[in-house]
Order: sequence, then C-alpha cells, then structure tokens
Amino acid sequence: MTSTESRRASRRQVLKGAGALAAAGLVGAPAISRAQTGAIKIGVPTILSGRVAILGQSSVGALKMSFDKLNAEGGINGRKIEMVVRDSKGAPQEAAKVTRDLINNDGCQIIIDAEASSAAFAVQEVIREVGVLCIHTNSETSSLTADPKLYVPTAFRTARQGIHDAIGGGDYAAKVAKAKGLKKWATCSPDYAYGRSNTGEFMEYAKYFDGNITVVEETWPKLFQPDYTEVVTKLLNAKADAMYSALWGGDLVAFIDQANLYALFEKQASFMVNLGDYGVVDQVKQFPQGVYSGGRYNRTVPPTPENEAWYQEYVKTQKSKPTNWSWENAVGAQFLIEALKKTNGDTNGKKLAEAIKGATIKTPFGDRGSITMRAEDNTTINYIIGYGLSLSKEPYISDFKMSPWEPILELEKQWKKKQGYAT
Amino acid sequence: MTSRWRDLGLAGLGLVLLLLVPVFGAPPAIRDFIMFGMAYGLLAMSLNLLIGYTGLVSFGHAMFFAAGAYAFGLAMQSGKFSIPGAFVLAIGFTALMALIIGAICVRLNEIYFAFLTLAFQMLFYNIILGWVSFTGGDQGLMGGIPRPKFLGIDLADRTQLYVFCSVAFVACIAVLRQIVTSPFGYTLRMIRDNQERAAFLGINVTMVKLACFVMSACVAAVGGILLTLFVSGAYPNFGFWTTSGEAIFMILLGGSNVFLGPLVGTVILRLLNDITVTYTSHTELVLGIVILVLVLGLRKGPLDLLAERWENRRQAKAQAVRDAADKDAQTGRDA
Amino acid sequence: MDLDALLRCVGMTSCVVTQLTSGMIIGMLLFLIASGVTLIFGVLNVINFAHGSLYMIGAYAAWTFYQLTGSYFVSALGAAVAVGVLGVLFERVLMSKVYGSNVLMQLLVCYAVVLISDDLIKIIWGPVPLSMGMPPEFRLPPVRFMGGVIPPFYIFMILAAMAIGLLLWLVIGRTRFGSIVRAAAINGPMVSALGIRVNLYYAAVFGIGSALAGAAGALAAPVRSLTPGMGFSILIESFIVTVIGGMGSIVGAFAASIIIGLTRSFGSIGFPLFVDGVMFLIMALVLIFKPSGLFGRAHR
Repeated sequence: MTSTESRRASRRQVLKGAGALAAAGLVGAPAISRAQTGAIKIGVPTILSGRVAILGQSSVGALKMSFDKLNAEGGINGRKIEMVVRDSKGAPQEAAKVTRDLINNDGCQIIIDAEASSAAFAVQEVIREVGVLCIHTNSETSSLTADPKLYVPTAFRTARQGIHDAIGGGDYAAKVAKAKGLKKWATCSPDYAYGRSNTGEFMEYAKYFDGNITVVEETWPKLFQPDYTEVVTKLLNAKADAMYSALWGGDLVAFIDQANLYALFEKQASFMVNLGDYGVVDQVKQFPQGVYSGGRYNRTVPPTPENEAWYQEYVKTQKSKPTNWSWENAVGAQFLIEALKKTNGDTNGKKLAEAIKGATIKTPFGDRGSITMRAEDNTTINYIIGYGLSLSKEPYISDFKMSPWEPILELEKQWKKKQGYAT
Repeated sequence: MTSRWRDLGLAGLGLVLLLLVPVFGAPPAIRDFIMFGMAYGLLAMSLNLLIGYTGLVSFGHAMFFAAGAYAFGLAMQSGKFSIPGAFVLAIGFTALMALIIGAICVRLNEIYFAFLTLAFQMLFYNIILGWVSFTGGDQGLMGGIPRPKFLGIDLADRTQLYVFCSVAFVACIAVLRQIVTSPFGYTLRMIRDNQERAAFLGINVTMVKLACFVMSACVAAVGGILLTLFVSGAYPNFGFWTTSGEAIFMILLGGSNVFLGPLVGTVILRLLNDITVTYTSHTELVLGIVILVLVLGLRKGPLDLLAERWENRRQAKAQAVRDAADKDAQTGRDA
Repeated sequence: MDLDALLRCVGMTSCVVTQLTSGMIIGMLLFLIASGVTLIFGVLNVINFAHGSLYMIGAYAAWTFYQLTGSYFVSALGAAVAVGVLGVLFERVLMSKVYGSNVLMQLLVCYAVVLISDDLIKIIWGPVPLSMGMPPEFRLPPVRFMGGVIPPFYIFMILAAMAIGLLLWLVIGRTRFGSIVRAAAINGPMVSALGIRVNLYYAAVFGIGSALAGAAGALAAPVRSLTPGMGFSILIESFIVTVIGGMGSIVGAFAASIIIGLTRSFGSIGFPLFVDGVMFLIMALVLIFKPSGLFGRAHR
C-alpha cells in the first residue's frame, strides 16, 4: 500500500472508531436522575439463559409477584416499583458490568442480586464501590456474609446460608443414623465451591452429633456432568450404609435416573438436600424409596393457609411451580418493601440499609411465622430448615422435621471462630 | 519513517479522543462500555496478530488473558507489589508461559495447532479450577483487588482508572501497529502466505512464530489486567474456551485483514450483547440470528469488505486514469 | 490421587468388570457422537461445531415422541430420522455456503446455530430439566456378570452403538454409496466431473452424521436429564475423541472413544480430580507426537 492509500485507509479507521464511539453513545443514553419522585427502579441481574435458566425464571417470577401485588395496592406512597431484569449468563464479569449498567445507565437505585454464587461475589464488589442497597437472594455461600473481609454495609442476603443448612441437616441425619445404625457414609456432590463446602459442613456436623459416623468414600462429579456411571459404580463399591448428596437440578435428576439402573438406592439410605424442590422431585420418573430431602420449597412446609395461598398465587400468575429460589426472592422483596415503607420511599442506600438491619418480617417461610435480618452480618435467620422423607407424588414430602434454631446459632458462632471470621 | 510518525500521531489522537470522553461528561455507562471494550479489544487485537498476520489460528488464546488477570490479581492481593510491579510481573509470567507452550505448539500447523492450543488452555483452566486454595477455584479471586496509590495515581477513583486503562490500551495498540508495520511484521505476512517460501528464503519460521506467539500473549495479558481492574476480581471463565471463541468472533465480525478490524468487531459484539441484553431475555436467539445474517450476508468482516471495495474503487480509478492517458496518447498520435 | 485404590480395583475381577463396562458405556455413546463429527470432517472437510446441538435436539425429539407414542424404539428411530433431516437442511441452507471459507467462518456459523437452537429449545420445552424415565422394557434388575454389575439398558445401548458403528463402517467401506463418498472426500470436483451430483452426496453425508448425533441423543435420553445447553458438555469430549482417533477415521473414533471411556472410569478411582486434565493431556500428547491421530491419514 502506498502512503496515500494507507493514510486514507487509516483515516477511515479513525472515523470508524469515532463512529463506533458515537454508536456507543446511543446505548449510553444519559440516565435521567430520578429525584425522590417517579417510579422506584430496581435492577435485577440474573441468569436467564443456558443450563441454569430456571434460576432466573423462578427468581424473577417471585419478585414480579411481590412487586405486582404492591403496585396494585398503590405502591410506596403512590410510587410504583419497576423491575429491570438483565441476563448475565452466569459470567461474573458480565454480572459486574450488568450491575453497573443497571445503576449508571438505567437509573436503578436498588439492586436485587439474583445471581448464583460466583457472580454474587462480583456484584458484591460493585456494591462495595457504588454503595446502593443490594439484596443477594440466591447465593448460599456462607462466606459472602460470614467473612468480615467481604462485608459491605449496604449488602444483605436473604438466601439460606450453607452453614445453617449443614448444622440442621447434620442434626437430622445423626438422629436417623442412630436409629438405623448408619455408620459408614459416602458422599456424591458437584465439584465446586457450593458442593464442597455444603457437603464438607454437613458431614462435619453429622459426625459432631453422632460420633459413630465415618466417611468411607467421597465422589466429586463435575458440575453439569451428564454421565454419572463411574460415580455410581464407585459408590456401589464403597458399600456404605448411607449417602449424602448436594447435587441439584437437572444433575440430581440424571444422577437418580442413572443410579436407579444399578439399584443403588436399595442398598443404602440417601440424604439429598436438594431433592425436595419442584422441578426435581416431580421430574424423577423412577422414584427411589427411603430418600430424605432437605427443605427447599414445598407447599405443605409449613402446612399453613398462608403458604398454600402463596403457592396457588405463584402457580396462577407465573404458570409454573415455585422453587427454592422463589421463596428466597419473595423474602428479599418483602424486606425491601417494608424498608421502603419505613424510609417513606427514600432509596438512599445507607438509609435503606439502616431500615433493613435487624428487621423482622412476618412470612409464611419463617420458622415461627417470621424471619429476621441479623444485624451483625446482614444475613437472615429463623427461616425454615429441616429434612423430611421424599415422596414421588403430592405432597412430595412427609414427616418434615423442622430443625430448632437455638443450637444452629450456637454452633454457627463456634464455626465462625474456627474459620477465623469472628469479628 | 513518515508512516511511523503518522501512526504514532493517530495513536495520540485516539488517546486524546478517549480521554475527552469523561471530560465531556459522558455518563459512567459509556466509560464502562469503553473499558470493557478495551480489555476485550486487546484480546482480539493480539489474537489477530496470530490469526490475521501470521495465519496461526489459535483456539486457546484466552489462557493468556486469564494468566495476566490472575497473576496481576494474586500479586495485588498478596500486598507485596505496587501496581506497576504487579503489572510487569503479570506480563512476565504470561510471557514465560507463552514461551513454554508456544515452543511446543508452533511446530504444528493449521487445525492441529488450533486444537493443541485448545488443549493447553483447558489444562490451564482445570488447574485454575482445581487449585482452590490459591486461585479460589470456581469462585475466582474474591474480596476485590487492592489498589494502593502509585506515583500519585489512585486507581480506586474511576476516572483515574479510565485514564490509566486508556493509556495502557493505546500504548498496546501502538506497539502492535509498530510490530505489524515493521520488517518483522512483513515476515509474519510472508509466513502466512507461503510458509515454505519463507523458509527457503532463510527465515527461521519456528522462531518467528514463537516470537509472535509470545508477543501476542503479552498484549492479551494486558487485556486481562484491565478487565481485572474493572471488575475487581479474576474469574476462571476468563480462560474458558468460550472466551477464546468470543475473541475469534470479534476478529471475524470486524475483519482480520485490516489492522483495527478486530477492534471494530469487539465494539460490534459488545454493542450487540448490550443491546440484546437490554431489550430481550432471548439474548441467544437474537445474537445467533444477527451473526448468521452478518456472516452469510457479508461473508467477510465489514472492514475487510470496505477495505476491498476501497481497493477496487482505487484500482478502477487508477485504471480509468491509465485509459484516459492512453486515449490522450492515441489522440496525440492520431492528430 | 488414589493409586492404591486403582491397584486394588485392578486386582478384583468384580471391580474390573464393572469399570470396564462403565468405560464402554461412556465410550460407546461418545463414539456415536464422534463418528458423526469425524465422518463429516473426513468427507466435507468441515468441523461441525454444532454437533452438540444436534445431539440435544435428538434427545428432546426422543422425549417428545415418547410422550406421544409410548414406544421407546419408535421414538429413538423417529428422533434419529428427524435430526438427520434437520442436518440435511442445515447443510443445504447454511453450511454449504461456507465450505470454501476458512474454518473460522464455519465456526461462526455453527456457533450461531448453537445459540439459536439452545434458545428455541428453551422457548419450546422450557428451562425446567426434563426426564424421560426408563422405558418399561428395560426396567429390569441389573445383570450380574463375574461379580460386576451391568444394567440391561446399558447393554442395549452398547450393542446398539456398536451395531450402528458397524453398519456405518460397512456402508462407507462396502457399498457403492460409500465408495462415491470416499472418492468425493479425496477429490470432489473429479467425482462431479464423472457426472455424479456430488452435492447430493455431501448433503447425505451430513444427514447421516446428524442422524448419528440424533441417535446418540435418543439413546442417552432415558438416563440423562434434558436441559437447554446439554450439547455443550459432549461437544468438547467428542472433539477430543476425534482428534485422538484421527479426523476422518471411524475406526479411530471407536478406538479413541474406548480409550477415553476407560480413562474416565478407571480414572475416577485412581485420580478423580484430574480426569479432565488427563484427557486433555492425552490429546496434547497425540497432537505433539502424531498430529494426524491414532488412525488418521496425514491431513492434506
């Protein structure tokens, strides 16, 4: 290329670049600053595509139900709540960018983070910097709120916390183990942070409550692994009395289907914390007998009219059944709504955080009809934790035993000290 | 010589344009878009050094993106390095990694090179995932990246961060431009066009390819560092094969034969991504249809197409000038 | 790393039998999928990155047909045929336009198809994971063989995959159709110059390759959970198998699938956390020392 042509070509390049920047300007239309009037915009980063699309669908379903109800009643002092939902596809850097865009570009003054755990950490960093109110509704990883290094004053969590589940579950398992002589245990959980910490904590507390329990085999299939044959055969070889699994969703369905082929469930008792969810328990075709599931969401747990009403409303408006994510989001929405009522519609992060810290809400999903947002670490307590026997048809769970919260809280304190999280 | 000054001048102009963005009060959303674009743009531009200029199709380039990100993030989280120190460390680590991996890979050709780079990338990815105590596993580097001040610059301030990223970005683009317009760059093109002929001319093809591999890895690492600073963390999917795939799409969407093509492709892909995410929940469907329309309709990157049409028009004009001159000469003779 | 467990297992017949069969189970399904990839590459010189989506569509089609007809065999056959037809359409409408272009354009087209099919599946069948359940014909207790355990459905699956593979090998190797296809793989224009409509054969090959993926999806459906995006996971593994076996070689795909299957099954005992890493390591080693794969011809 001679110098004249290349000069022209590169001028073209510069123009192209400027044009692209201008086009970017169309996307970044200036956010109209909303004073304390007009709609209250809430940004919801979540996962709407790919294998975990059900997470986003059930989270948004519950949020929509809550906010539609509020808007029908007149909103907050006449101001309606508007949700802006964005798909981050589960990639943490996209979640961070989506959150920033929701705040900067779309004028969202509040964030309800319906992301899965790894992206939730990325969103937490954005909130740390920007300081708006954020409620994490799906991430169960304890360290998000337990680790003081990760603490952000305007970030809260309404999802269940891994350590609570583990203590409650371990207690239940130990009782069953003592009754049935289940000494040798095997585990089968997905090999990522949630699977590892959930399973490790469960077995630790099972052993704490029943000293006879030993773990003879651990299997760690990869998340979304389609084929569990080698895991099932390993479990067969282990000849354990009982098994624990933190598999969830489609993975759990596939595992059960494949394990049934080897008649694995006839040989051992199984504790599968995530089986009880609609979408799993009603999808398994050959239902194993004698399987225990942790409390996820079930219309009969608790067997109150409020719970049944919420379930019916959800099925009617969202045309699908609620999941564990649904109730966690509903609780998040309720905390937010009550805080907004307290601040009279002021969406300032600090003010809302003050209103939420230590608040208690009346809810069908609470242990005794209520859930509290613990002030010391911005996470919820007194939600329903427990285990029951899984069934293949309605009501899909029976003999549900709710775990008492006093021992859970006590052991949680000790766990935090051990982890070095004590403030 | 003049072209070098012209290029540097254009780079300076570009930098000034970038820096004017916050000055003219553009909303933070535009700055975020540009910063994202700069990080991924460096990934795509560096990959094009391999694909467009040397003919080496790599399916695993994102491993260097991730290497830079994690090395920088870990260095800063350790608290023992300043930002410039961590920067240099991350690039150095990536260069070393590229040297070792490249030495094994560049001996292969075409699709085998592609698959081998993919294999190494997935090995690296599995190491990141598996070494939970060091890298945080699937949760990535949590807790944010500390940003101590250096030389009076405070990267915790978003505007200063933007300036820093812009400078780093333009510097890398200028470096790439210098490589591409230098004799080394023309050697790369020669290897792309006819490897055997280059070898017969006495060029050590393997060494040249290896050098190119390492250089492009370093630029990709800078992209990774920029992304880490932006999201305050490093995550395993930085090094997953889908990220390499995205880089390839950016190159294809923009054009691999024009220098800034991949950058245009990055902007196009990010715009497409952001617009579809804003207006629909069916992001995959829309993205897929748009890609099909672009690829089947245009068959080449838009910049390539424009460059071709430009070239054709120029040749047509030159031909017209020649025809006119011939005619004059003829009439002159006839007269 | 638990190499003692591995050694212990190798010493026990029951364990060896169980792990061998589990390796075959994994391997044979992989073989069906990889054979489609390698066939398409061998004849058309195109890497079908959308192959995972065809597998996914096969699984969903089998599920739907099963809900409608209640017969597993009809559903499986129907799914294979349906995906085969879809494959032909895909080839004629989209892939044939990028045959000559560089591999990256083909990659882009396939990626677009993957995105579109993932979303369409989500729209039509919903994001909730679906389960087909074991057809009643196979609800039998596992077969005991030398102390090891093998579920009857898997025996069927292994035999079916081997039968299909054998059929494929015979068709390509022993029929007129097969010799034309092999000739077209070596020199398409020359075959066309002989008066044969090569494009039809190209479409047919793509259709067969797709039908293989569809059959694999139908075979996997009773034991897998169907989600949008399920094609993702088998895609990379099928490429590993194709590369190790040699691109274009069906026998190679068979051998490589068994190697990978056995690596996975024995590996899950000996080095459970490194199985993926070992697979990529094998792929890297093959590429370094014999790039054309175990049974492949040197790439032209």
